[in-house]
Amino acid sequence: MVKVTVDGTAVEVPDNANALEACRAAGVDVPHFCYHPRFSIVGQCRMCMVEIDGAPKVQASCTVPVRGGMVIRASSEKALAARNATMEFLLINHPLDCPICDQAGECQLQDNAVAGGLPVSRTSEPRRQFPGYDRTDIGPHVIADMTRCIQCTRCIRFCNEIAGTGELTFIERGGHTMVWTHEGHQLDNEWSACAADVCPVGALTTKEFRFRKRVWWLKKTASVCPGCEIGCNISIEHREQVVHRFLPRVNLGVNDFWMCDHGRFLAESLNGRDFLKPVVPDDFLKASEPDGRGRRETNWGEALGLVHEKLTAAKPAAVLAIGSANLSTEENWLLAELFGKTVGTPNVEFDADQGPLRRIRNPKAIGADGGFLKGTVAAPNARGAEAAGVRKASGESALGRLLTGSLVPDVLYVADAAFSARTADPAFVAKLRKAKFLVVHARTRSALTDVADVVLPVSGLTGKDGSFLNVQGRVQRFDVAFVPPPIVKTDLEVLLHLGQRFGVFETRWTTADVFGKLAATVPAYGGLAWDAPAVVGLPPSVSPAASYDVLRPPRTSVDDTDKLPAAAGKA
Amino acid sequence: MSAMWPAGYEPVLLARVSRPDSRSIDGYLADGGYASWKKVLAGIATGEWTPAKVTEMVKASALRGRGGAGFPCGLKWTFVPPKEKRGNKPVYLLCNADESEPGTFKDRVFIEKDPHQILEGMMLASFALGVKHAYLYIRGEMVHGAEILNAAVDEAYQKGLLGKNVLGSGIDLDITIHRGAGAYIGGEEPALTESLEEKRGHPRVKPPFPAVSGVWAAPTIVNNVETLCCVKHIVDRGADWFKGYGRNEKNTGPKLFCISGHVERPGVYEAPMGIPFMELLALAGGVKGGRKLKAVIPGGSSAPMLTAAEVANMPLDFDGVAAAKSMLGSAAIIVMDETADIPKAVTNISKFYAHESCGQCTPCREGTPWLNKMLKRLVNGQGKRQDIDLLLQISGQMGNGMTICVFADAAIAPVISGITKFRAEFEAYLAKAASPDFALSAPSDVTKKVAERMAEGIHC
Ligand SMILES: Cc1cc2nc3c(=O)[nH]c(=O)nc-3n(C[C@H](O)[C@H](O)[C@H](O)COP(=O)(O)O)c2cc1C
Ligand code: SF4
Ligand code: SF4
Ligand code: SF4
Ligand code: FES
Repeated sequence: MVKVTVDGTAVEVPDNANALEACRAAGVDVPHFCYHPRFSIVGQCRMCMVEIDGAPKVQASCTVPVRGGMVIRASSEKALAARNATMEFLLINHPLDCPICDQAGECQLQDNAVAGGLPVSRTSEPRRQFPGYDRTDIGPHVIADMTRCIQCTRCIRFCNEIAGTGELTFIERGGHTMVWTHEGHQLDNEWSACAADVCPVGALTTKEFRFRKRVWWLKKTASVCPGCEIGCNISIEHREQVVHRFLPRVNLGVNDFWMCDHGRFLAESLNGRDFLKPVVPDDFLKASEPDGRGRRETNWGEALGLVHEKLTAAKPAAVLAIGSANLSTEENWLLAELFGKTVGTPNVEFDADQGPLRRIRNPKAIGADGGFLKGTVAAPNARGAEAAGVRKASGESALGRLLTGSLVPDVLYVADAAFSARTADPAFVAKLRKAKFLVVHARTRSALTDVADVVLPVSGLTGKDGSFLNVQGRVQRFDVAFVPPPIVKTDLEVLLHLGQRFGVFETRWTTADVFGKLAATVPAYGGLAWDAPAVVGLPPSVSPAASYDVLRPPRTSVDDTDKLPAAAGKA
Repeated sequence: MSAMWPAGYEPVLLARVSRPDSRSIDGYLADGGYASWKKVLAGIATGEWTPAKVTEMVKASALRGRGGAGFPCGLKWTFVPPKEKRGNKPVYLLCNADESEPGTFKDRVFIEKDPHQILEGMMLASFALGVKHAYLYIRGEMVHGAEILNAAVDEAYQKGLLGKNVLGSGIDLDITIHRGAGAYIGGEEPALTESLEEKRGHPRVKPPFPAVSGVWAAPTIVNNVETLCCVKHIVDRGADWFKGYGRNEKNTGPKLFCISGHVERPGVYEAPMGIPFMELLALAGGVKGGRKLKAVIPGGSSAPMLTAAEVANMPLDFDGVAAAKSMLGSAAIIVMDETADIPKAVTNISKFYAHESCGQCTPCREGTPWLNKMLKRLVNGQGKRQDIDLLLQISGQMGNGMTICVFADAAIAPVISGITKFRAEFEAYLAKAASPDFALSAPSDVTKKVAERMAEGIHC
């Protein structure tokens, strides 16, 4: 650590910090564009100019390594004049049409201009245009508009240094310099939308979100990506019960600043709801409908009463409960408690899909392999389900026997109708249907819900809170984005209500209460608190381009102190 | 061809260029070429010649880099980290033949007329620096020159002067000619190393300096063509001989000057360092048509222009031109007589910089075209009253540490010097303008405030 002074404030920063980071550590906000804590330092934007005692000229603070005793003047007249100058240069060719730019509201150029720029422009020359390079697809997800580019090269460095795919480059030079893909290539890699995240302006935007919602209307909820077992921290960005996008939420120990395109564009899948009320079989309809499977909507009392009745009537060994790697550990734990201990069946199982390999660059993360964290299970909480006492299904397990036809359960209770992609496969569903009574929790309609006897409408990820145990053995909490329509319950509430009928659970328990109970018995959760910072993670940031603003004091000290909680490290 | 050196002066650098067989290795050998290279190689075994000895000679000669900055060459060589520090990393020598500074055409003479002189200089410098592979980076447009150099390198290999165990000395040395892609900025040292690595020729934040981390992150010494030619002559004839040329201890050696513009006989001239400007002008036949001298750009377009009065008693060496608040740079002297239109000249130069900016730093990428657009408008009769001050203010916001490399400082030098020294000519264009006061409504409080804040932005 070295001591430096910024505008009269003494701060201690790591030896390898630069003057810009020292300013940030001292709480002095020096605007900047090209600097990003994960990319090489290039000093290109010239926004972060400061004065440093002993140096005759103004300096780009990001390019100056700190020295003990360094005196930085970030707010001197000369420093401010230099930054004003850069801001003026950045704006002379910028379209300045924020009202029709989708980045407005989370644009660093806009923010810095409003905070420190000048109210009028001195240029009267025509503004530069990039015909053919504006509003153009450069990949499956990203649209480029070079009229807005400030040539900070963050996107280029993302592709070179993080993705390692190097699709982007500068083309042309001088005032015509622009970012484009190499001839014959597309911006197409596993994390391509992160290039749009790091873009401080509206030059790179994603097709999926572009012009979908003005960002200031969006509410941000801290959550965890449902795409794979890595469990990238995300912000669910939503308004009026509609999810508009996912953004990565910084977690230095997991996804760092990134998330993959697969996970990111699952956002849309959280929208839509096909069930607003529980569904139960109806004898009259059954008789009158040719396929003999008539059902009607009802209230929770009747639906849960029926399930309770069937469960008590069934032989315990003939009950099969299927948990899910998509459900929180709390929900899986309640399922294991209720069915394993109260109903008394040995058959509490889950099955998760093997997905394609997902990778997130984070060389410093525990468990990183070749610089990447890797996930192969296509669901976020396989480890949590197992830790909670829900066994992984196998050929010989109850689910396996059901599929081979050697077990015909009296009651099959599926706590997540989408526990596997196979639930869309009619042949698979037909095998599950062999059960005499089939109950499912569901948000959306599927081949499985079509044949179930009882459908219990649940909220999905947006409507609930809970925790997942990721591939590293890290417990990560997600929060409620928005409350579902009244009669819909969360999976946790459904299980609590059912458990109450058996006299073992209380409906007033919150997720935090359940977390507390399971933390007392489940080793992977041992010693953790619902509100522990390591479990909660960092808050969703104000803007994706500035998401590293949570990194105060500078990066290295945060990195160094980032350790997995003792208990979680065991996995 | 009239003499390209002062009467009574014995040319050194240009000695061979007008010989009929100046290009071929046979001609070069017949003129005593490669004697120093052979002498040094033969002297290794006896201990007579060591790398340190060559470096010491170059240091003692006070040779300053001929590429533009005039940095002491021997001192630069000592910046290469010693073997203990650099470990297994090789050292590279990079001969800078990117010559693109407007007004400069001296390196081209060596390349096209006397390529072996360059190669011998590179060999001796490589020996001094422990280089096993030296590169010559030639400007992309010089296709012909690259062909000549490649032929010369082939000849040198054939004569056993390059390759493995050269002349049984135990020294291995390869030389590769690398063609740039045609960018002025490629001549800037870090940009040169980037470009040699087949990346875009972008200047990089320093430190690290190339001498510590250059090509492929290995220590790299970049020297101009003429600098390396001087090295050859220093090893030929000794440091004291070299110091015999020049006005003082810090400005030594024979020097090439490129004179262009309004002179009777433009061309490359050789003269001792420190020759007075007026003498050189006389050598070039004086101002064209006997007209009056108006302005001089003494060191390539990046050097601030000087008035006739400022050059009247100016000696042409690094410190002499610096004393006149300009720079010798690449010694490209552009002479402008009384018919020259300074605003148009400045506009023309500004077009070059707008075209050549690499585009990574905001002030340079945005500022160079802005200056050019404004100047173009001005000379096209659409100037506005505030343009002249604005040009100065914008220029003042571009240099002095605002950018990664000094290109931006180079780009503003002609604008600032042109306006401050010949302001009346710029104002004359305003008088011709259709409505110079067009944009001047009564200043509101806001614009006044802005003007005040902007005024603070000037630090030129
Ligand atoms: C924009 C720019 C362009 C340059 N172009 C050249 C060039 O074309 N040739 C050259 O020898 N030096 C050029 N230089 C200077 C080199 O960076 C470097 O100082 C020089 O090659 C060092 O060699 P020397 O020490 O032998 O002079 C340029 C510098 C700048 C900033
Ligand atoms: S597209 Fe965005 S991230 Fe890329 S250089 Fe331009 S402004 Fe920077
Ligand atoms: S790597 Fe996994 S957790 Fe991360 S964004 Fe992709 S799918 Fe989601
Ligand atoms: S000053 Fe100009 S030429 Fe030099 S690095 Fe910056 S943009 Fe490129
Ligand atoms: S942030 Fe320092 S130069 Fe861009």
